[in-house]
Amino acid sequence: MSVGRGRRTAITLLLGLLAGAVLLALAPAAPGAVRVAGVSLLWWYAAVAAPLAATVIAVVALLRDGP
Amino acid sequence: MREAAALWLQPALVAVLALRVAAGEADAPWLVLGALVAPLVALLARARPPAGRNPVAAAAAAGAVTALLAANFLLAADAATLLGGAPWQGVSVAAALAVLAPAARRLAAPALALGAVALALPLAAVTLATATAPWTAWTRGGLRPALTFSEASAWVQDGERFARPARLTFADGQRVTALTAGVYRVIERDAAPPTVRDWRLASGETLTLRPGDELSVETGARLRFEAGRRVPGAPASGAAWADAPARGPWMLPAALGGLVTLVGGALALGAATGRRGAPATWSPVLLLAGVTTATGWGVYAAAAAPDLTLSGSLLTLWLRLPPLALGPRAGVPLAALAAAGIVLLGVGATVALRRRLAAATRPEPVLWAGAVALAAVLTAWPVDPWRLLMLGLGLAAAMWTPSVLAAGAPGGVVGSIAGGVAFAALAGLPALAPAPAPAAWLEALTRYPALVALPLGWAAARAVDAMLATEDPPAGRRSPHSQTGA
Repeated sequence: MSVGRGRRTAITLLLGLLAGAVLLALAPAAPGAVRVAGVSLLWWYAAVAAPLAATVIAVVALLRDGP
Repeated sequence: MREAAALWLQPALVAVLALRVAAGEADAPWLVLGALVAPLVALLARARPPAGRNPVAAAAAAGAVTALLAANFLLAADAATLLGGAPWQGVSVAAALAVLAPAARRLAAPALALGAVALALPLAAVTLATATAPWTAWTRGGLRPALTFSEASAWVQDGERFARPARLTFADGQRVTALTAGVYRVIERDAAPPTVRDWRLASGETLTLRPGDELSVETGARLRFEAGRRVPGAPASGAAWADAPARGPWMLPAALGGLVTLVGGALALGAATGRRGAPATWSPVLLLAGVTTATGWGVYAAAAAPDLTLSGSLLTLWLRLPPLALGPRAGVPLAALAAAGIVLLGVGATVALRRRLAAATRPEPVLWAGAVALAAVLTAWPVDPWRLLMLGLGLAAAMWTPSVLAAGAPGGVVGSIAGGVAFAALAGLPALAPAPAPAAWLEALTRYPALVALPLGWAAARAVDAMLATEDPPAGRRSPHSQTGA
């Protein structure tokens, strides 16, 4: 597989988002368990914020690459 | 343009994600995110032209597709079990339909889109009719003092069937009524060593279980539980469901293993679909919709009825949640719509798997028929659908992905062999040297062998590529006549 610079950056960001979920879930003192509006920070991140960010990153990278 | 989404949104994966969220599994948050990010990474990692013949990767591709098909067939087995039939009857119907998949090639894209809509609509109806936003449902689920059977639960009213073998651990004492005759094994753990008793029960006879007792249940067994008692095997409370006390730094190897398996498997599966530009943007949107919908079903199921995950069936949650939330009149048609959505996702996924297998190996129909038959046989093995999915994706990650990532055919072959040897050695470790309580990192390696096998295979492929490039730079590329994608 060959990957252009833009796509490589996007892939790095996507993997960074994944690492963020693992960090929030497994870090000592459980920062992911902190409640924000009744829901844990981990679930806000893993089910809402990171998926939206990941989709935007992927769409932008695909669009910038052209047809 | 939607093939990447169809390949990834396997009905088994969508159903297992919902089930893991509903059950409050400790790894659910990062697996939900991984299930979305993995195919997105594969979409962005553009596929190269085929790297020449690689029979090792082709064999891995066939094995991976077979395991994924088998995981999907388990849904059909669950449907047959819920209807009171034998699992093989459901598997036979699904396998027969899968053999006909090439004939439905033109239906694949509409089936995927319609399937996604059919799964999302009942969820939207539950949200609107109960005026409960997903985050409110999550909060309610997390505030329950205990996860108990309600009076309205099907487990309490008429009893339910277990879709696969289960070991139920009881946190409180309760009377369980067997509605199917058979032998039920109870392990009493109130003394050391534990006492094992086999009870031969006729239909309607009851067992009295004490806190700490463990009851073994066979596939198809139908049991009735007492209202107000804790759901066996469920988290102790809503807080335990929300925050999974088992979660901690010691889970890091397993977390990395699961994520490497997902990303590596997606790289292999998605390699042939490297589209660019605006048409390719449909796939991320469909993937987001599919994974978000699965998560939503899991959250509402946990809030509405924690016993929906008890049978281990991949279908119960989709069939029972709408009637529970909206009543039978509105709920039953919506449950039927959700079931239709699963079937439609299955059509899209099967056609996409057929095309991917043909690209990676050979296009002969007999090869596809063989994979379908083998997948049907695999379902007779009492295995958890998640394990089957991880087996398929892990095999693809360990042996197929190094070939996809390699610059040349020799590197691809060496990478596939190195990855395959590592995968087999780690996966077979528990059988060769069983340990009573393996360390967390060792358990993670045996559960997710791709964690080591993928980097090893990739490194071997790159080493060979580099060596050949140094020896013969202009001739180090692939054959122009090659036709295989593996």
